[in-house]
Amino acid sequence: MPDLPELNPVVHGRLRLALLSLLSGVEKAEFTWLRAKTESTDGNLGAQLLKLEEAGYVAVEKKFVLRKPQTLYRITETGRQALTEYVQALKQLLGPAIDA
Amino acid sequence: MQDHTTEQELKDRLSLIESMISAGRRNTESWGWTFVLWGVVYYLAIAWSAWGHGVWAWPVTISIAVIVTVVVASLKGGKHPETTLGRAIGSIWTALGISMFLLFLALGLSGRLTDQHLFVAVISAILGMANGASALILRWKVQFACAVVWWVAAVITCFGTDAQSMIVFLVAIFLCQIVFGIYGMIAEAQERKRRGPIHA
Repeated sequence: MPDLPELNPVVHGRLRLALLSLLSGVEKAEFTWLRAKTESTDGNLGAQLLKLEEAGYVAVEKKFVLRKPQTLYRITETGRQALTEYVQALKQLLGPAIDA
Repeated sequence: MQDHTTEQELKDRLSLIESMISAGRRNTESWGWTFVLWGVVYYLAIAWSAWGHGVWAWPVTISIAVIVTVVVASLKGGKHPETTLGRAIGSIWTALGISMFLLFLALGLSGRLTDQHLFVAVISAILGMANGASALILRWKVQFACAVVWWVAAVITCFGTDAQSMIVFLVAIFLCQIVFGIYGMIAEAQERKRRGPIHA
């Protein structure tokens, strides 16, 4: 029997996984958009984004638009790779149950 | 980790990934309000024209609608991420807004906004083009149906009477602006409700 893959604990967190998935489909996204899509609180969202940033999975860009601060997030190549590997591991773990 | 992870949890993660990627790519529905707003604006302009101020009705209402759209969109700006798809769709509707603004301003001020059939045909064709392009990019059948309604309206208005032309225009506005806009807003609300909050 082949070894079962390990699931990356940083990616596995529900909100972190949602954030990486959201960011994988866009070039960059604002904090407020991520908050609206995940319906999470500012504190929780900020904490999970920080974990992803520390892991090198997302990059942050802060700027001012019309004198209002704007925080933009984008998925890094490392983050995209981690998400791809996580999906592959998930499919391998689920095996035939994936279609059930 | 997987020793403690149930099969259901793993499936839940997979479904979460799919729904989030899809949510990130689908942004047009959050523009449902603009369709409703512009539908109301068209009705106001038609009513104002019928009241006897044809020269000013369209330029003024279109100008106000453009300003309201830009202001509300900029206030809601944070809700939209940067995507190639988003830029493509945004470009189509921005170009449509500029075209309509310039065309109706010039036609209204020059006093040449007199042929109702030509006017309805032009506005319907422009809206059919924008809806059609947007629907083809998004592969959105409902919006493509709106494009078809506009194209049909553009053709019918060239052959019908004044009254028939106006009825076709009013029906197309109702279906493709008001009904489609409300459908977009409901779809967005349902999607938000279905997904629910995501906890860490």
